[in-house]
Amino acid sequence: MKPSVEILIEKYRNNLYVMAFSVCKNTQDAEDVVQDTFIQYWSQKKEFESEQHIRAWLIRVAINKAKNKNNTFFRRNALPLEDYMQTLAFESEESSGLFEAVMNLPEKYRIVIHLFYYEDYSVNEIANILKLTQNNVKTRLSRGRGLLRNTLKEDWEHDE
Amino acid sequence: MTNREKYKKAFSAVCPSDEFILEVEKMKKIRKQHIFKSMAASVAGLALFMASATAAYAMDVGGIQRTIQLWIRGDCTDATIQFDGDGTYSLEYTDAGGNEKFMAGGGISIEADGSETPLTEEELMEHLMMPDVEYEDDGTVWVYWYDQKIEITDKFEDDVCYVKLVKGEETLYLTVKYKNGYAADRHKYVSPDGTWGGE
Repeated sequence: MKPSVEILIEKYRNNLYVMAFSVCKNTQDAEDVVQDTFIQYWSQKKEFESEQHIRAWLIRVAINKAKNKNNTFFRRNALPLEDYMQTLAFESEESSGLFEAVMNLPEKYRIVIHLFYYEDYSVNEIANILKLTQNNVKTRLSRGRGLLRNTLKEDWEHDE
Repeated sequence: MTNREKYKKAFSAVCPSDEFILEVEKMKKIRKQHIFKSMAASVAGLALFMASATAAYAMDVGGIQRTIQLWIRGDCTDATIQFDGDGTYSLEYTDAGGNEKFMAGGGISIEADGSETPLTEEELMEHLMMPDVEYEDDGTVWVYWYDQKIEITDKFEDDVCYVKLVKGEETLYLTVKYKNGYAADRHKYVSPDGTWGGE
């Protein structure tokens, strides 16, 4: 199966953007990543087994492209996170604090945490998307949670 | 409220800008413009914004897709590369563990008069033959080039490392910014600030 890119844009645009931003920490780079991800989907002949397969593929491609952005000399001048956060309409200070704590996590923990808590993927599914072992994902998830607990204290439940 | 609910609530504040256009035909034009803007501000001369694999040779399979052999972490791997005609490319390969991998990149050349030209397929292929820098989970940093593997973990000063690579008669001067990209040149080290530096 290969649904039209327009349908997928409508469905996954925001999630891919948030995923990309959580890796790049840069709005313009994140938008480029989303565009390039959909262009890659649109321009190649790959067939997919299911809707879940497409979603996982889009997320994996977006993560890889976002990581590539982080590894180039020629990055855009990123707005400092604090300044960017002032442009966002958080519902509460708790939300703002959680966002900042996540964005300050090391990249490898941040990605796993985001896939688990935002995209609702299981450890097994995250392992397949990132091509890691389940134990590796569990370790990153655990360390990421630990760092969030240290920062957020009672605002982050012990949910392991 | 669960952690998951808190997380989703916090990240619900993040969304693309109103100007973000996602119509496929427009996307290619926009992407090209974005590349040009960021490159023009960054470097003079030939500019590459990603090279993360090393190509041994290329074989045409028709159209704009080609099958090539890449050197990934010292291993020679088959890959399919697609040139988009605007100075960018995307490629797919299967790594040693049987996992499907994707990469994309591209670049432009900036002329003396400031005009910008997308890199040709030949120029992109040349840049795909550049070295690769990998950061391992154990904190070590490695440079891969063809079948060469060099650890540079302890060679950083002020988060910048300079490495001279030699293969036969070919020499490359590699500048690595710690976790912030790298650049290579056949004659001189590229300065980390994007201007030409001395050897």
